[in-house]
Amino acid sequence: MASVTLENVWKKYGNVEAVRGVSLNAANKEFMAFLGPSGCGKSSTMRMIAGLEEITSGNIYFDGELMIKVRPRDRNVAMAFETYALYPTLNVYENLAFPLRSSKRSGVDVDKRVREIAGILEITDLLDRKPTNLSSGQQQLVGLGRALSREPRVFLLDEPISHLDTRQRVRMRAYIKRLHIELGYTMIYVTHNQEEAMALADRVAVMNEGLLSQVGTPEEIFHNPTDTFVAGFVGEPPMNFLECEYRRENGRHLLDHKGTTMEMPSHGEALAQRGAIPPRVTLGIRPFYIDIGLEKSARHVIPAEVFVVEPLGDMTVATVTLLGARLQIVTELGFRARPKQTVWLAFDPTRTLLFDAETGRALTYEA
Amino acid sequence: MLELRSVTKEFGRTVAVNDLSITCEECEFLVIFGPAGAGKTTTLRMIAGVLEPTRGEVYFRGQSLKGVPPEHRNMSMVFEYYALYSHLSVFENLAFPLKARGDSGAEIRRLVKEMAGILQISELLDRRPGFLSGGQRQRVALGRALIRDADVYLLDEPISHLDAKLRHQMRAELKAMCAEKDATVIHVTHDSREAMALSDRVAVINKGKLMQIGAPDEVFHRPANEFVAGFLGEPPMSFVDVEYAEDDGRAVFLITGTDARLPASLEVSASVRERGLPSSFRLGARATEVSAALSRNETHNVPGEAFVTETLGHRNILTAKLGKDLVQVVTPPELAFNVRDTVWLDLSQDNVHVFADGLAVAHPGRQGD
Repeated sequence: MASVTLENVWKKYGNVEAVRGVSLNAANKEFMAFLGPSGCGKSSTMRMIAGLEEITSGNIYFDGELMIKVRPRDRNVAMAFETYALYPTLNVYENLAFPLRSSKRSGVDVDKRVREIAGILEITDLLDRKPTNLSSGQQQLVGLGRALSREPRVFLLDEPISHLDTRQRVRMRAYIKRLHIELGYTMIYVTHNQEEAMALADRVAVMNEGLLSQVGTPEEIFHNPTDTFVAGFVGEPPMNFLECEYRRENGRHLLDHKGTTMEMPSHGEALAQRGAIPPRVTLGIRPFYIDIGLEKSARHVIPAEVFVVEPLGDMTVATVTLLGARLQIVTELGFRARPKQTVWLAFDPTRTLLFDAETGRALTYEA
Repeated sequence: MLELRSVTKEFGRTVAVNDLSITCEECEFLVIFGPAGAGKTTTLRMIAGVLEPTRGEVYFRGQSLKGVPPEHRNMSMVFEYYALYSHLSVFENLAFPLKARGDSGAEIRRLVKEMAGILQISELLDRRPGFLSGGQRQRVALGRALIRDADVYLLDEPISHLDAKLRHQMRAELKAMCAEKDATVIHVTHDSREAMALSDRVAVINKGKLMQIGAPDEVFHRPANEFVAGFLGEPPMSFVDVEYAEDDGRAVFLITGTDARLPASLEVSASVRERGLPSSFRLGARATEVSAALSRNETHNVPGEAFVTETLGHRNILTAKLGKDLVQVVTPPELAFNVRDTVWLDLSQDNVHVFADGLAVAHPGRQGD
């Protein structure tokens, strides 16, 4: 396996700039997810790593070795797409062995490798069976095993499980992650699904409009995003944003949202002391970190009006209106309230983020 | 108000909808929920009158709709693939149903403006559908269906193509708008959270057949069978194979492939006495209703092996091997499990569902009372 380094990589299709100066490093044996909405440049970036797309400018290295002039088939990368179609005439063993044989490995290695993969996926009992005698869940595991049976320098996966239903997808996610842990692959995994990226990757590279917004561990991306795009794209239900004005009064630092004074986030005081808060800021808070009360209390001081309450079985989501802005709050399972009822909110100041309203940059971001 | 009586639809030899009987009450938000190919859209199209049932009939306020063409049913439908007027602007698309009923220009402008505001498409009113993204077109189609008064609104995956942020917002808007209008709505989706969030009642269908119908809480907490239990809820319910035994007259479950045993509830032993031993018993555990610990304690006494942990930010999902099955458990982010660690689960009759030959025989105690 190899490390992958991108240095100021650009891709232009005519006048369209699909990838705009991306630099990053995926370490040897790292699982890195490229996450972003459609058109963000994540697939183009992956295809340049594979050599399927030419690079407009910039460099790509595997273990420090420049790859730009190396033909795709000599880069020794393996790509897996969403198709897991198996060869119906071959048994499971031969399906797993097929990619290994075609990459001209010795017979001994093939057998060892097939058994290793089958062991991790717990399909050793099925090796003699034909695909038609497998359940659909078993077929998916064999397909996954076949996609990952080779030992290239880098594995590239493009939305490999997005076609599956939720139940199958969540299960396959666990197997993909376990295979990575056991086999120590360098993996680059393209997805638009934030939960999948967070669940699987050691680090997530978030892309938007051809630019790399942030690279970080799932925890960093979730709690310490660089800008409003990353903050809003990662996490479900998505982060709430409130436009606020910053002012000083009698030496105190205050944030106002349409005339209502909001609690200053824990980070905010230090930022204010340094004079680092611009006049217009965006306050960001995730639905998990707002507490909702039916009565006013010492903590619950922000009044809001209930818009709808959605009981989801494992959690309840309340949407409330705060001076025209809609906020979503994950509440206790049993929470119920009528539309238009007044409720009282308490923001967790340690989980509240501040962004520059002009640029979207996180003022609270700590590198 | 709207009733499907033993409706079947066959396409050649394929049975798309199989003897389906569902009633939707006046002002009810009914969600038809199921996987791809379950027959959801076919059902909706028979209600709209676009398709005729092969057998059975659709009744509206007690009258059979047999032979009544779609345009004579006062129903407003959103198709999954939009069907907007491509030569008309977004404004004219939204205004179309209002013009058709003869509203004044001022009234039309007011209603279109209001709807566009709710759906966050106000800045798109001058554009033609060809210049819109899929998510924008979907909102225009939804607006066009909801802007007029209809006896029944038929919505086929109306927000499925929106990104996560907009989908959450539009789900709340849709729920509020329909409640405000006291609308009768039949909404088709394959999204479990959407079904739970929107519905007064949810009808779960699979392979053209009704699996269960009820209030979302009821269907979530008291699923009638393994299909409903496993398909509704995210992360999905985990199932564990168990064997039934009687130990000194007390019923227990032995978890296949482990030494672990779980006391079985009275409902279970009663079911065995009544119906005999089924050929399979499975436990169903919801990831949010069971928990895991790093060391054994009074409640966490079923041993498993950590298979993998996924970090989602506000919570983690632990997948643990229990015998030959995988069980998923939502854990707090600060609780770290390494691969192959022994983990202790708190499975008990207070938090697992029991299925015999696929049918539910017992639900967790705390929901049952």
